[in-house]
Amino acid sequence: MSKIEIKNLTVDYIEKKKSFTALKNVSFSIEEGEFVSIIGSSGCGKSTLLSILEGINTPTKGEILIDGEPIRGTSADRGVVFQHYSLFPWMTARKNVAFGIKQVNKKASRADRLRIADEFLEKVGLEQFRNKYPSQLSGGMQQRVAIARALAMDTDILLMDEPFGAIDAKNRTALQELLLKLWEGDGTKTRKTVVFVTHDIDESILLSDKIVMMTANPGRVYREIPVPFDRPRDRARLVQTKEYTVFRNSLLAMFYNDIAEKIGGEEVVL
Amino acid sequence: MTVKKRYLRVVHALFIVFLLIQLLPDKLPAETYAAYAIWFAAGVEVMTLTVSAFIKKPVSLNLFLDIVGFIYGLLTVWVLATAKFNAIKASLFPPPGKVFRQFILDYDKILVNIQSSIGIILQGYLLAIAAAVPLGLFLGWSARLGGAAAYISKFLGAIPPIVYIPYGIALLPTFRSVSVFVIFLATFWPVLGGTMSGVMNVEKKTIDSARVLNVNKFTMLFSIMLPASLQQIFIGCNQGLTVSFVLLTSAEMIGAQSGLGYYIKNYSDFGDYTRTIVGLIVVGIVIVVISFIFNRIQKFLLRWKT
Repeated sequence: MSKIEIKNLTVDYIEKKKSFTALKNVSFSIEEGEFVSIIGSSGCGKSTLLSILEGINTPTKGEILIDGEPIRGTSADRGVVFQHYSLFPWMTARKNVAFGIKQVNKKASRADRLRIADEFLEKVGLEQFRNKYPSQLSGGMQQRVAIARALAMDTDILLMDEPFGAIDAKNRTALQELLLKLWEGDGTKTRKTVVFVTHDIDESILLSDKIVMMTANPGRVYREIPVPFDRPRDRARLVQTKEYTVFRNSLLAMFYNDIAEKIGGEEVVL
Repeated sequence: MTVKKRYLRVVHALFIVFLLIQLLPDKLPAETYAAYAIWFAAGVEVMTLTVSAFIKKPVSLNLFLDIVGFIYGLLTVWVLATAKFNAIKASLFPPPGKVFRQFILDYDKILVNIQSSIGIILQGYLLAIAAAVPLGLFLGWSARLGGAAAYISKFLGAIPPIVYIPYGIALLPTFRSVSVFVIFLATFWPVLGGTMSGVMNVEKKTIDSARVLNVNKFTMLFSIMLPASLQQIFIGCNQGLTVSFVLLTSAEMIGAQSGLGYYIKNYSDFGDYTRTIVGLIVVGIVIVVISFIFNRIQKFLLRWKT
C-alpha cells in the first residue's frame, strides 16, 4: 500500500458563473519516505492539489487516501509549510514552534514544548532569534521557523507549497541544502514523506526522488519522472556531473515541449 | 544630545517670563494667592528639567517641551487676564493661584469623586469588553460564513446609547446601576462591531495556517482570531472609552450625588467657579491619564506589529 494514493481527482471551480476545471482525473501515488516534487507552470493546479492534501479544499470527484484512509478535512498528521504567512505574527519564533507542537501533542508540558521548540530552532540555525517576532525576521528566516515547526510536529507527511518561492536566490540555495540535510538525516530514522510544490526545476532535481510534472487547461499529470541520483546528495558535486546536465536538459525539453503542445497549431504573434 | 540642546530651550524662558509677570501689581480687588501659582509653575519646571534629563529621543523631548510650553503660555495669559489686568469677569474666571489653592484644599473630596467616577466606568467598561469580545469572535466567525450578524450589530450599534437611559431608570434601582448599564451598552456595541469586523478581515492565509494545524474551535477563536483582530478590537474599545466618559459626566451632572460631573455641576449651581474650574482641570487630567495607560496597554499587546 502506498502512503498517499491520489485517485481520479477532479476539481471544478465556479467563478463569475463560469465553471472551470482546475484538476482533471489526476492519479498518482507516493510511497512512504519518498520525496516527491510537483512542478508545472502557473495554472496547472499544483497548489490546488496540495490544498486538497492539506484538507483545506475538497475535490469535486475522486479522493486521496492516506494509509488507505480517505482524507476528511485537515488533520495534524500532515505538517504544512506555505510560501507566505505560515507563522502567526503575534507569536515569537519559539512560541510559533511550540504552538505547532501543542496541536499534535496535547500531553506534552509547556516546558517540554519549549525545549523541543528550542531544539528544532537550533537545527535550522535560529536559536539566537527564538524570541523575535516574525516581523523582525527576514523572509528566509521566517521560512526556517516554519520548517522548524513542521519538523518539530514530527508528522509522517510534510506538505510544502513553494516554500522558497519568495526567497532571493542565495538564501534559497541555503534553505534547499538545509531542508535536504534535515530530511535525509543520518539514515537511522525513517524519512518523512514529502510533497513539495515548486516551479524551479533545479530545486526539484536536487531534493526529490520523483518529479510529477503537471500541465494546465485542465490541470492534469503530464509525466512522472524518477530522479536517478544517489543520496545523500551534494549540490556542488551533483551539478558538475554529466548525468545531471543530461537529466536536467531532458526535463527542460519535456517542460517546453508541453508548452509547445499547448500553443499547438495556433499562430503565435509576439 | 548635547547639554545645550537638552537644557537651553525656549520653554525655560517662558517659565522666567511667567515669574517676572508676578512682579506686576495686582489689579484684582480680591486676594489672588499668587504664591500657589508660582509654586505650581516651579513644580512644573522641576519636573520638566528632571524629565529632560532622562528622555532619549530628540523628537520625544520636543513633543514634551511643546506641551510644557503650552502650559506656561496658558498660565501666563490666565494670570494676565485675571489677577494683573482684571480683564474678564472675576466671578466666573478666578486667577490661577486661587484655583490651585482650592485644589489643595479639596484634595480628599476630589479623590473620592474620581474614585466614584472611575469605579463606575471601569465596571461598565470591563463588563462590556468581557461580554463583547467573546461574542464578537463567535459571531464574526459565523458571519464569515453567513453575514446577517454583521448587519444586525451595525443597526443596534447605530442607536446612541443615551436613549437607553429611560429603560435603565425604569429597570434598575440606583444611579450607579443605571450608569453602569448605559456605559456597558455604550462600550458593548463598538467593541462587538470592532471584534466582528476584525474577525471578518483576518487574512484567509492566516486561517489556513491555523486550519492545517487542525486547531479546535476554541483555539481558533481565542489563540488565532483574537490576536489577529486585536487592532480593530482596540478601535472599538477606544470609541467606547470616549463615549463612556461623555455619558458618565453628563449623567452625573443631572442625577448623581458623587462623581466628577456632580462636583462640577454642584459648585457651579452655587456660583463657586473656582471649584468648577478645578473640576474641569481634574476631568481633563483623568481622561489624559486613562488614555495614556490605555495607549500603553495597546502598544504592549500589539508590540509584534511592525
